[in-house]
Amino acid sequence: VLREQFARFEAAHRPFAVRLRVTPDAADQRRQLYVHWLHAHAPDPDVLQLDVIWTPEFAAAGWILALDRFKPDVAGFFPAAIAANRWDGRLYALPWFVDVGMLYWRTDLMRDPPRDFGELTRVSLEARSTGATASGFVWQGARYEGLVTVFLEHLGGFGGRILDETGAIAVDSEAAVRALTFMRDSVSASGAVPPAVLTWQEEQVRFAFQNGQAALMRNWPYAYGLLQDASASRVADRFGIAPMPADPAGSPTAALGGSQLAVNARSDHPDAAYALIAYLTAPEQMLERAHIANQFPARPALYETDALTSALGFEASLARAIVERAVPRPVTPLYSQLSEILQVRLHRALTRQQEPRAALAEAAAEMRRVIARAGLDGRRSPP
Amino acid sequence: MREQQETATSLEAAESRLAWLFVLPALVTIVCVAAFPILWTFWESLHLHDLRMPWLGMPFVGWENYGEALADARAWSALGHTLAFTIMTVALELVFGLVLALGLDRKMRARGALRTAALLPWAVPTVVAALIWRFMFESPGGLADVALVRVGILTTPPTWFADPVAAWLPIVLADVWKTTPFVALLLLAGLQQIDPAVHEAAALDGAGPIRQLVDVTLPLLAPTLAVALVFRGLDAFRVFDVIYVLTGGGPGTATESISLYAFAVLFRDLRVGYGSALSMIVFAVSFVLALTWIRLLGAAREVKR
Repeated sequence: VLREQFARFEAAHRPFAVRLRVTPDAADQRRQLYVHWLHAHAPDPDVLQLDVIWTPEFAAAGWILALDRFKPDVAGFFPAAIAANRWDGRLYALPWFVDVGMLYWRTDLMRDPPRDFGELTRVSLEARSTGATASGFVWQGARYEGLVTVFLEHLGGFGGRILDETGAIAVDSEAAVRALTFMRDSVSASGAVPPAVLTWQEEQVRFAFQNGQAALMRNWPYAYGLLQDASASRVADRFGIAPMPADPAGSPTAALGGSQLAVNARSDHPDAAYALIAYLTAPEQMLERAHIANQFPARPALYETDALTSALGFEASLARAIVERAVPRPVTPLYSQLSEILQVRLHRALTRQQEPRAALAEAAAEMRRVIARAGLDGRRSPP
Repeated sequence: MREQQETATSLEAAESRLAWLFVLPALVTIVCVAAFPILWTFWESLHLHDLRMPWLGMPFVGWENYGEALADARAWSALGHTLAFTIMTVALELVFGLVLALGLDRKMRARGALRTAALLPWAVPTVVAALIWRFMFESPGGLADVALVRVGILTTPPTWFADPVAAWLPIVLADVWKTTPFVALLLLAGLQQIDPAVHEAAALDGAGPIRQLVDVTLPLLAPTLAVALVFRGLDAFRVFDVIYVLTGGGPGTATESISLYAFAVLFRDLRVGYGSALSMIVFAVSFVLALTWIRLLGAAREVKR
């Protein structure tokens, strides 16, 4: 997609040429590479693709340019996606596409997708006991960012949040303990989730579902198109998507992810760089991405069009319903460290090294300590 | 007479000046690639330096970062994991390396080819080797599971990388598999320095093969064993790549080594000051270990004489 879009951009913006620099797929490694470049004040690449959780960190470090002077039309984007790109009152990146956690379910094994966690367990165990699939429900359980997003979705379903209304850490709430206990018991007590997920990231999870080994899967939108490819997938046309389940105390929750585009603070051509971002985040290019890569547009207006439904291959209104429930992760330059603290404790609880309550209490205490030490408590921006 | 003496001293001085000149490139190189980075890291470790919060500047905080490390439970447990890993792998590598070296030392057909073959694991890049081991211990149904169940050692294999104890097995196996040939090579060189006449004499005196190994080969091999111990011990203490690829330090932090933790603090948290302090601790511990071992090595030499 990108190469074709670049060619059109170049044709319209001579004499500038756009060169694609390939970076690692693994998010952590890509971030490390960016840190090397940006900390060394390299003037290129001019435009950077950022994960949604990196924007405040890079902005606070002074590595990316505030975009306000280009007067971007922020009203056209999902407000949650824009909020995640703000730091200290300024906008530092524009959303390229949004990612949301969704429940993939097998239409040949159940009539409707499970709506609450009890049903989720029941359906998973049923699929196993009838021998329809080897595993029930699969999700990303390795110790990495993906685990935090899966936890966030269970947490929302049980009525909890990572930060409370005042912006304070709330991962040790009763709802959080219930959510993590449910996740752990799904793996080790009920058997609804195979223990191997504790080493799996997105792709291993997709392979399990794609090969017909699981009845339910939590994954991002990118999987949809790949699963529909009948030449590689055993479940083509036999699955659907739905919001994640929730108990009465909570509501169906999706973690908000996605890619952002930002301008390198040392870029020699910030205007041209912004022109490229404006072009790539325009409605036509977003629709094209949705069609080819199944990545959801970051502009709500597009979800009203039939063009998006035909591009995605399923009802755009369903996608919109999930995106509108999407919950952002904490917007802070300390996010990577906070997330890692949580990842370690979640993984300890899931691998039965610690009880969920103790693990979450420890995680919350350490996260609060990190925030307090940085002097960022009670404030969203630097002094 | 006096004149002669004077020329001798000036000659000596000239010689020594020339010597310094010759050593200079090596000294400059060492200062640039070893001393300078270490001093820089030490300097960083005395500051609060956090790339995520440039507005804090880079204030001097003295030993504060080291104080934090002392109170950091995760750093201590990482240090414990590293020591356990070092002791375990080095012991296994010395035993297997010795067996392999003794085997390769015997006169037999295709000895050259066998020696080359035995060295192969050492030639494989660590990351590649670790990836192969990870693939074998993949759950469920990895090669290791299938083999262990078929042989009857296990009925239900654990989810290797999700089990805080079982996760160590692939790590230790991968490291031992990879570095045993290196130890064997070192020991083989030591074995070949032993005069065959000593063995012949021992045999004449009626010493069996075991007696010969314990009373003749091992004492004569002691200096080489000590060298192997120092090399492997220091290497194992800085272990990073095997664990990074196999478990990333998980599950939780059950297999995290101190280098892995320092790396995470530096490059993930971007806390340059604290990360530098952790790196300095790794450096200091390995430096002390190296000095101790070299002392012991010298002592062993003295005893031999």
